[in-house]
Amino acid sequence: MESRLLRVDLTSGELKSELIPHSIFERWIGGSGINNWIMWEHFLTHDINCDPRGPDNIFVFGVGPLAGTGAGSGIKGRITFKSPCYNMFGDSAGGGKFPYMARFAGYEYIAITGKAPKPVYLLICNGEVALMDAAHLWGKDTAETHAALQAELGDYPSKTHTLSISQAGENQVGIAGVVSDALRIHARGGGGAVLGSKNLKAIAVQGNGSLPVARPEDMLAWSEDFRKKIDGNEAVYGFKRRGTLGAVEMYQHIGSHFWRNNQGNMFRGDEIRSDNWVKKYHKYSEVCSADCYIACDAKYQIDGTESEAAKKYIGETFRRPEYLTTGSAAGALDVRDWSEVAHWGKLTNDYAIDNQDLSCSISFLMELKQRDLISDRDVAELFGHEQNLRWGNMEDIEACVESMVFQKNLFGQLFRDGPYYGALRYSEMKGKNFMKYAMYGKGGASFTEEVRPYPTWMNNMAVASRGADHLKGIGLIEKFQREDLSKVYFDGRTEAADLTIPELKGACTALAENQVALLNSYGVCLFHWMLDPADYTPQDYYGQAYAAVTGIERTPEELMRDGERICNLEKAFNSRIGMRREHDTVCERWMWEPNPEGTYSNAVAADMFETVLDEYYEWRGWEKESGLQTRSKLEELGLDDVADVLAQDGALADG
Amino acid sequence: MSASPQKELTTGSVRYQPGEEAPNVAQKLFALRNQCTECNICEVACALVHSPDGSINPQLARLRIDHAPHKPSKVSPHGIGFVAQICHHCGNPPPCAEVCPTDAFYYDPETRAAVIEQDNCIQCMECVPGCPFDVVFVAPQGELLKCDLCGGDPVCVKACATRPEMLNEGKQYVRLPVLFFEDQAEFNRISKQVPEAQDEVGMMQAMLERGEISSSA
Repeated sequence: MESRLLRVDLTSGELKSELIPHSIFERWIGGSGINNWIMWEHFLTHDINCDPRGPDNIFVFGVGPLAGTGAGSGIKGRITFKSPCYNMFGDSAGGGKFPYMARFAGYEYIAITGKAPKPVYLLICNGEVALMDAAHLWGKDTAETHAALQAELGDYPSKTHTLSISQAGENQVGIAGVVSDALRIHARGGGGAVLGSKNLKAIAVQGNGSLPVARPEDMLAWSEDFRKKIDGNEAVYGFKRRGTLGAVEMYQHIGSHFWRNNQGNMFRGDEIRSDNWVKKYHKYSEVCSADCYIACDAKYQIDGTESEAAKKYIGETFRRPEYLTTGSAAGALDVRDWSEVAHWGKLTNDYAIDNQDLSCSISFLMELKQRDLISDRDVAELFGHEQNLRWGNMEDIEACVESMVFQKNLFGQLFRDGPYYGALRYSEMKGKNFMKYAMYGKGGASFTEEVRPYPTWMNNMAVASRGADHLKGIGLIEKFQREDLSKVYFDGRTEAADLTIPELKGACTALAENQVALLNSYGVCLFHWMLDPADYTPQDYYGQAYAAVTGIERTPEELMRDGERICNLEKAFNSRIGMRREHDTVCERWMWEPNPEGTYSNAVAADMFETVLDEYYEWRGWEKESGLQTRSKLEELGLDDVADVLAQDGALADG
Repeated sequence: MSASPQKELTTGSVRYQPGEEAPNVAQKLFALRNQCTECNICEVACALVHSPDGSINPQLARLRIDHAPHKPSKVSPHGIGFVAQICHHCGNPPPCAEVCPTDAFYYDPETRAAVIEQDNCIQCMECVPGCPFDVVFVAPQGELLKCDLCGGDPVCVKACATRPEMLNEGKQYVRLPVLFFEDQAEFNRISKQVPEAQDEVGMMQAMLERGEISSSA
């Protein structure tokens, strides 16, 4: 297995093609694993404490070896960078056809450094690359940018697929994302701000090249087996129909929503409580990424008959909202009309902005207003004019979005790095402590779902390498209460599936982080695994496909170790910039305030938090007191070189 | 190990020239309109099966997925979605073969497909506009690409995902993919089963009604 890496130095305009040798795949698997390594090497020669919005930061795009091989397991591209909003390790996955086409265009990995003197976009066409003038694209949102590039570049040698930023990225808004094909956002961490700071508006790819497959017959056989498994899985059918929206009803049932800045756990409003709206909105299915056998996505088109509010959006068509779009609008902001929820999804995607950070920032202010902790004058001070902040009011919400994207006023500037830094800056400015109402973990915005009753998820929020995150160590065993899985992974023990006790919860995070790191490195979607975590195991079942494509034979145990190695490199990155145990924490509301509603009400994180965190470090083999890695653990993973760097920076524990 | 898949899978020992009386074609390829999600797996699988060197290049696939605007169907009355462009296997002689100046096509009774004999093809591309369904494709290197039914068991059909739009009541689904390899009568029967776009009972509501769960509040 070999791949091409394109190095782009925007300052000098130099474009260099490099070979990623087989040995790198053997150590880092591919996809996010290789991205992490490229970034790690970059910061050995550049200051890791640099300004993430400066020319020294690096932006890496990569796509793993299983992507586009007919596996049917979806494709996820990955962007990796030092996060401008949280100022730590940052990466984000995204689907669409861009990562698929990047492989056929000749470069599976792209590393971008420096800063272009004027706006440019990067064009990759069948292995040939060029930096093109992007003056005509500057000031356009992602939908317009994608349309303009498709019109400009045409259909030969293939359709044009793009990765682009909006005005938010241009204005270096910390929570700005990058959008693939104007539809699928790499939202987390602020990749858009990094590209904006580098004056890189977009990357466009076209190609009709080939992908090597080491053992085509094995790959065909594996794909056929995988497709049969999926066809035989009843759970997949509900998911094909609704995608993550199935969670709306389920969470309403058990009380697991994030309502009004997490003051409640259930949606209010009749229609919004159920996902029984497909009849109105669902117009046709469209796959999220190429090579996905599930296609949980769909498109809506509003015709104005759906509701009173829908009359504002007649003709609008976009992706059906998925759960976190709904969770942020109907939950965090209490929007009660489906067409408005759908419009929120389109708005945040076109402006390429993380709707979790944005909704938590807005709902923070709305709660302050609701509690009369700030006056109308305070709000006017933030927005530069009189501004209402009413729960669920789309006019008010859109005013906040515009303020953020175009950095119009104090609100946009204070909250450009999400709710945690926004609340800190606002508290400082007003001389009052408002942190009680900010929803975050490890400095990153909360994801808009209740987590207090779920100790593994709470642990994920505190330790995720990119700040509060559920996708780095998704706690399937605990949330779905899967005793069978607990037995498989923990020598017959069942405690991991019991929500009410802290045992094995930290262990679950460590286990899931390793598995997710593997899937992210293969370049496939997590959902197929989530739909049947017992059968579609990353280390075993997917491992066979990985071997067929790359020729790298691994036992499941070796692959789990590979996953662990990838996680340890992300941890080492954060240790180098000074993150320790005290950073692995969550917000006050989660820690001390019981959740008010639902099946698992009256839970607070503080009950189990420290015990679970201790256990997590234990299973990781890291030092509990400081949270730092030990040399023995790193050497066991073959990361002696990483240990040396950490020792030099004083970021290695004794032992 | 690693024998690469063969470049040409058709191995019929009996070859009928165009116009010659041939056994009746029983099964054909069919695609349901606007059900396709553009996952491209059929293209990738086809490309891999027909790959000369074991690599994947979707531009070497013998079928294409295209956007199909304004062609309404039962489940997509607004006519948005995708269609799979596949060879219809017109019988003997097919229109593509009729316009061929070098008689490069032959009908293979074993695979039931009209196939291009690449050695006889001069790449004049007459068959491209000659096909009424626009499904003879040109590879980047100029080779003409036409479906050969993979030796009688088309991989694209096996690779086609079943769609949830084929929803039956409750949790039972009529599991239909988009692509079929059937005889005409059977396909007609199947396509009549496709239910119209319909209202749906929410998952939790259905489970509550069936008594599988109880209400928490």
